[in-house]
Amino acid sequence: MMRLSDQGIPSEDPRPRGNNRPAPFPRIELRFGHSGRDYQPMEWLTVEYSIGGLEGERLRALERSILWYTEGKGEEDMGIHFFERFTTPAAVAGQVPDGTLAVQLPTSPLSYEGVIVKIRWCVRLRVFFESGRDHVSEHVFTVGRVPPSIPPP
Amino acid sequence: MRLPRFLAKKRGNRRTGSQAWGSFAEGIFYAILLAAGVVFGLLLVTGAANYAPADPDSVVLQRGYEWWMWLLTLLIPLALLAFGGSGLARVVRMWGKSLEHRAAAGGSAILDSLSSPESDTPHHPGLPSCENIENSPGTVLRYRLALESPENWSLVGFGMFAILWNAVVVVLAVGAGADLLGGTTDWFLIAMLIPFVSVGVGGVVLLVRAVILATSVGPTQIEISDHPLVPGATYDVLLGQGGASVFRSIDMVMEMEESATFRQGTDTRTQRLVVRRQPMAGWRRVQPVPGGRFEARVAVTIPRDSMHSFASESNAVQWRIVVRAIPDRWPEFTRVFPVVVCPSPAATVYPLAEPGEPG
Repeated sequence: MMRLSDQGIPSEDPRPRGNNRPAPFPRIELRFGHSGRDYQPMEWLTVEYSIGGLEGERLRALERSILWYTEGKGEEDMGIHFFERFTTPAAVAGQVPDGTLAVQLPTSPLSYEGVIVKIRWCVRLRVFFESGRDHVSEHVFTVGRVPPSIPPP
Repeated sequence: MRLPRFLAKKRGNRRTGSQAWGSFAEGIFYAILLAAGVVFGLLLVTGAANYAPADPDSVVLQRGYEWWMWLLTLLIPLALLAFGGSGLARVVRMWGKSLEHRAAAGGSAILDSLSSPESDTPHHPGLPSCENIENSPGTVLRYRLALESPENWSLVGFGMFAILWNAVVVVLAVGAGADLLGGTTDWFLIAMLIPFVSVGVGGVVLLVRAVILATSVGPTQIEISDHPLVPGATYDVLLGQGGASVFRSIDMVMEMEESATFRQGTDTRTQRLVVRRQPMAGWRRVQPVPGGRFEARVAVTIPRDSMHSFASESNAVQWRIVVRAIPDRWPEFTRVFPVVVCPSPAATVYPLAEPGEPG
């Protein structure tokens, strides 16, 4: 298993609570079920994740998604390949603090490192707290093996 | 919740400010439009907005509107109602949802990508449609590719400009002519007509030149043995170039172009960049057969490690066959024939693995 560092992004700033204790900053670790983060089209992507640092704060919902998005000069486009949302307490408890995910990847689009257009694939985990805050963690992987583009002279 | 910032950056779906405040402000905007539509519509329908233009103190008791006038008058309030209402409904529907949830709720075709693997036409999410490319059979090879010529758009642009500008010139000229016939001379109008007529004549000259350039060198046709293309495969391509004049050179290349659409202030711009150029063939001193055309058949191989065609709302990777020719007596021209390149078939398809097991 390859252990990747959490690239967590708080969607809202953690603000001090009544007793001056800061809101929890979740620590989400994700392990790809593969010797690397390089996958082929139609291959099964399996991941295990663990969510820590909740400090007793209750979760309202959990979202798990696998998607591609574009980067570069243009506006960001996004395509959702897999999306799952857990909202009931029992369903959330079944997926937190540890959970697994297995999804077959599509044939396209492949990850691409262009000059003004880039395509990235990622797994996103988003937790929603009872307080209204949410926290997203993004873990990038690649689909296919397309070499980076270099503009011709 | 973070307090709203007066200035925040937004790019695509990402913004530096709070998502909630952004949605709230968007909702307020649409609510104002909706309220404006309701207020204006009610004022018009109840007649409270009616007044006598010549004498604002007089009350107009009888409206002399025909049905089409009503339709025209209510057009703006109805547009405000439709735009504001639909926008507000969208904001309410998306309220509190994450970007991923919104994208999934938007009915992404990606979710259906694995549902019909047995389809005759391979379905690849994120690829442009092949429909416009494969609907025209070739005379020798299987498909005749559709032309996407930048010259055609120049022709349309010149034509629109010449028509609109000269329409304005005609209106001004009729006014000046009527004055002259009536015995008065409006020197200001006549002085204004001179530069307007000059630009109008220039527009017509440019249009005629563009039409001559587009029609004098003859049509270019490309046929291909199969479509969509796959990296690593080789295809036959037939070039047909009509025209009576001699060509100093004709070059055919396969290009891969990236295009990115972005907003800069209130403008929407698209940047294009060719990132791969693969020469296919070139000919010098070409003389088409009188009454016929120049024909050449070449083979092209799509490199095995190529990126496939890709199209999303604001970004694209486009493959195309480009023909550049220099006629002897006319300026150089470029004709573009888009093609679609699919991802190469997956070399390895892994079996279903249990969650947590190494793949």
